[in-house]
Amino acid sequence: MIKDLMGFVLRAVVVLSGTALATFVLLWHAPGDPAQAIAMARFDALLTEDVIDQVREEAGLNAGFWTAFRAWVGPLLTLDFGRSAVTGRAVWPDLLVAIRYMLPLALAGLAIGLAISLSLAIVAVKRPGGWLDRFAIAIASLGTAIPAYWLGLLLILLFAVHLAWLPAMGARTPEHVILPALTLGLGVAASLTRIIRSGILEARGQSFLPAIRRRGVSSRGIDRDHIAPHAAIPVVTVFGLELAFLLEGVVMVEVIFGRPGLGTFLVTAIHARDFPQVQAVIVLTALMFVTVNLLIDVVYRVIDPRIGARDA
Amino acid sequence: MLRVDQVTVKRGSSFALEDISLSLAPGRTLAVVGESGAGKSTLIVTILGLVKPWKGDITWAGDSVTSCAPALVMQEPRAAFNPLLSLHRSVMEPMAARKEVASSERIARLCDGLELSRDIFDRRPGEVSVGQAQRAAIFRALIAAPTLVLLDEPLSALDAVTQKHTAKLIADLQREEGFAALIVTHDLGYAMAHADEIAVLKSGRIEEISHPEIFAKAPRSDYCRKLRDAAVALGALEISE
Amino acid sequence: MRSVVFIAASMFLLAVLGPLLAPHDPTAINIPERLSPLNDDYWLGTDALGRDILSRLLYGARWSLGLAFAISLIGLWVGTLIGLVAALGGKLADWALMRTTDSFLAFPDLVAAVVIAGLLGAGTWSLILALSVTGWVRYARVARGIGLSLQTRGCVIQARLAGLPPGSIARWHYLPWLVPSLTVVWTSMFARAILGISALGFLGFGVQPPMPEWGTMLLDARIHLRSTPLQMVWPGLAVVVSVLAINLAGDALRDAIADDGNQGTRPHREKSRFSLPMPSPRHIRRSR
Repeated sequence: MIKDLMGFVLRAVVVLSGTALATFVLLWHAPGDPAQAIAMARFDALLTEDVIDQVREEAGLNAGFWTAFRAWVGPLLTLDFGRSAVTGRAVWPDLLVAIRYMLPLALAGLAIGLAISLSLAIVAVKRPGGWLDRFAIAIASLGTAIPAYWLGLLLILLFAVHLAWLPAMGARTPEHVILPALTLGLGVAASLTRIIRSGILEARGQSFLPAIRRRGVSSRGIDRDHIAPHAAIPVVTVFGLELAFLLEGVVMVEVIFGRPGLGTFLVTAIHARDFPQVQAVIVLTALMFVTVNLLIDVVYRVIDPRIGARDA
Repeated sequence: MLRVDQVTVKRGSSFALEDISLSLAPGRTLAVVGESGAGKSTLIVTILGLVKPWKGDITWAGDSVTSCAPALVMQEPRAAFNPLLSLHRSVMEPMAARKEVASSERIARLCDGLELSRDIFDRRPGEVSVGQAQRAAIFRALIAAPTLVLLDEPLSALDAVTQKHTAKLIADLQREEGFAALIVTHDLGYAMAHADEIAVLKSGRIEEISHPEIFAKAPRSDYCRKLRDAAVALGALEISE
Repeated sequence: MRSVVFIAASMFLLAVLGPLLAPHDPTAINIPERLSPLNDDYWLGTDALGRDILSRLLYGARWSLGLAFAISLIGLWVGTLIGLVAALGGKLADWALMRTTDSFLAFPDLVAAVVIAGLLGAGTWSLILALSVTGWVRYARVARGIGLSLQTRGCVIQARLAGLPPGSIARWHYLPWLVPSLTVVWTSMFARAILGISALGFLGFGVQPPMPEWGTMLLDARIHLRSTPLQMVWPGLAVVVSVLAINLAGDALRDAIADDGNQGTRPHREKSRFSLPMPSPRHIRRSR
């Protein structure tokens, strides 16, 4: 177990360094003059060469590749993301604000997604192959085909424009989170329903269940002790992918609903070619995913002891 | 010269092969006999480098065995061929790898010796009998004039007459071309008739390596004696006093 | 299955023949007729510049479906190659390539694509690059997994012993067994590419105006959500129908392969019958 853990951590370090290097290569080779872009974003008009040169100097764009990389990666190790190239403000506080806006949305989306997919899957497996089951599968297939931005627009159209029940744009009140979270949650639900459904079906097919049932264990007890843990395994497996899906969804949903948050932060930063901000988002995302994948590997072994045994 | 030097192969916590040492010179034949599960086939895959030994060295003329392009005849003939390709493509692979074309004399000689009609080469492995596939496998092993041939039960799927002819072809070619042959077999009679040496394997260890006549007259261990007596009883072996 | 093939084929035809069917020039601006509702002349109405939405949808199929097709094929080629190199190339190559795919899998595809496309500057080529950079990973994982399981097959061992070059071994003894699974992966990657292209288009990083592309059309339509809501329905519907059809085709294909595999007629399901007691040379990692 200790050895496995060391392996995971080593892998995480390799993955992180790779991501950091790839990011920097991309930023370095991005076409166009970043200094000019920054200057335009900051001063808006009437640019003289002097101003652009000054910006270039400030942003450290004059040094060679490896010098710049070292200068960049050093502070990163202490999670110091530097200052925005456009506003000159420190990146980290702004990033924290963005994350604070993103988190409720992501968590609400995940909760809605889990609630919908669990109830759909449980209803579906009551009679596998029945019309409810087929209906659930059809809904899930449809759901995975609907892009988040379109679903978001449709929801705005229905709940904000036609019915005028909910606010659409911005993030002023808690009510503002409902539509974006619903958009996100429906997407998550669509991708999870099938996995949970087949997880339950597979768990039910375990060969020892009839024997337990004959011994008089209640079906509720079987559901709790034997079906739920088994069905959880595939869900944990795809959780990393699900998280990626969630973050992609967050980017789109925030843009559609005009919410400040990590996605809006990233898209704005890219449009402004604000390299320090873009880097910060990438590094943070990679860090988050590596951590989550590491946790998944560990959790996986805890809930399914067979994995460790198989690997040995 | 093939040298296997104190080779031990682990399988899980036990040993599949334990402290195996043997050598095989060009032009010579070594027969490996022993009961099922004794480690005969493992010995072959280990020699070919497909399984890494836990301890010990295996060399051909001081170099790795794969450097001499060894030829292998597998125990299950049909599984040794790609089911999607015609037998012709498969058996000509050793020539294709050398970017050479087999001479028609060579092909004729092998076909005649193995009693293979040429039209089976247009078929796929699933469309020929196991016996035909086994002879095609021997064809592939011998087409490119190898220096080392490893044969795992090469005659198991053949009838007695074909067995005799096939064994003769292998022996004739070996005399002319001087390749070293390692034959794994259950057929003690065949081993006695064609091998220069017999190695008896039991539970991953070598019980005895000796000349066939010495083995027949004076087996060194109880197990070897039992093996010989069983073969005599089956009529596979005659001991001339 | 047949109906799905029919849908997929008609989509393909639409992408190829779309421009011939289009009643108007998709980029012709007609300000007096702007934002007009459905009528006899403009079947699906017009957008903010008075361009015919139906024509733009039909031309847009070329971009949305055609580019997605190209991107998914690039990924298929690159990913298969990398996966096979990992499977055939020895421990070091395998380790390096698998850690690389780990890095890619540890990052959301779309976010990476947004960053790449955004920083490289909007345009078709940076769009293709942005989606291809992450598009090969899943193919590589699948190709490597199957490749490793084929290593102990008799014909592969024989080909190696014969000294056949790795390229030929891969072509004749590996590739045929990869085709069914890779095709299934390909359908899902094709669908993902359609979603990715339109998402980037919607964010303004994709195909640039005045080229009609479904995501870009949605972006244009979004501003007029209140006045002409139908304008944003059409491109979204086009995306959903295409993705759904491709996904269903992929599902049907997977089921067909599974059925075939159970009967033992498909090569990739056929278990290695090579009987030598051979420990698997490398541990096959659980792929996530």
